[in-house]
Amino acid sequence: MLDPKLAAIGIGGGLLSGLLGVGGGVVMVPLLVLWASYGQRDAHAISLGAIIPISIAGIATYGIAGEVRWWDALALAAGSIVGAQVGAGILTRIDERLLKVIFGTFLIAVAALLGAKA
Amino acid sequence: MSGPTLYVTLAAFGVLVGVASGLLGVGGGTLAVPFLTLAVGLSQHAAEATSLLVILPTAIAGSLALRRYGVGNLSVALRIGTIGAVGSVLGALLALALTGGTLRIVFAVFIGIVGLKLVRDGLVSEQRGT
Repeated sequence: MLDPKLAAIGIGGGLLSGLLGVGGGVVMVPLLVLWASYGQRDAHAISLGAIIPISIAGIATYGIAGEVRWWDALALAAGSIVGAQVGAGILTRIDERLLKVIFGTFLIAVAALLGAKA
Repeated sequence: MSGPTLYVTLAAFGVLVGVASGLLGVGGGTLAVPFLTLAVGLSQHAAEATSLLVILPTAIAGSLALRRYGVGNLSVALRIGTIGAVGSVLGALLALALTGGTLRIVFAVFIGIVGLKLVRDGLVSEQRGT
């Protein structure tokens, strides 16, 4: 039987993932660290593994509704698997804090743009 | 965009998405969804659905790599995810019940919060968390 805390973290991550089309790691990683006492690295790994069944369920639900663009996804995924290797490879050579500030600022700008277009 | 141009653009943007997720652990959906709506012109619902299909193979590849290094616990992860799948179906049904405009605002608020958190982490933390 799974620890109720871990089950709750999974359901929370799943809700966010299904609602917004994201992995859910943004919620699961901090909760696994702060609430379930996992180390940062293990929390990342567990969150990533949990995303597998979570995303399958989301894809199935949206798929039945006819919303999944299979070929667009395939093209994006092909690029992103290559990119992930590159990203992991340069991780040790860059200033992670500066990167967070730049990427965070970029996301805030995209949020504003989406809000303006909604 | 259409035909080959579209797929080449998608694959090129996919590389960026992959680099960001490899570097920061976030980036998959937060980048793919706005790109698919703003640049490719998909509806908010179709963009989110398609984003999940990009996330799945990335998560599988990442999990297999991490298992080889002995990080984490894949069987616990899959059990968390199997229960989480209930949440995911509910979340997707909720999204499908909302209009595209409303869902887009909810998504914008979400990535705005993620952006603020990243900026704060980058400015505040003295030591590396990961």
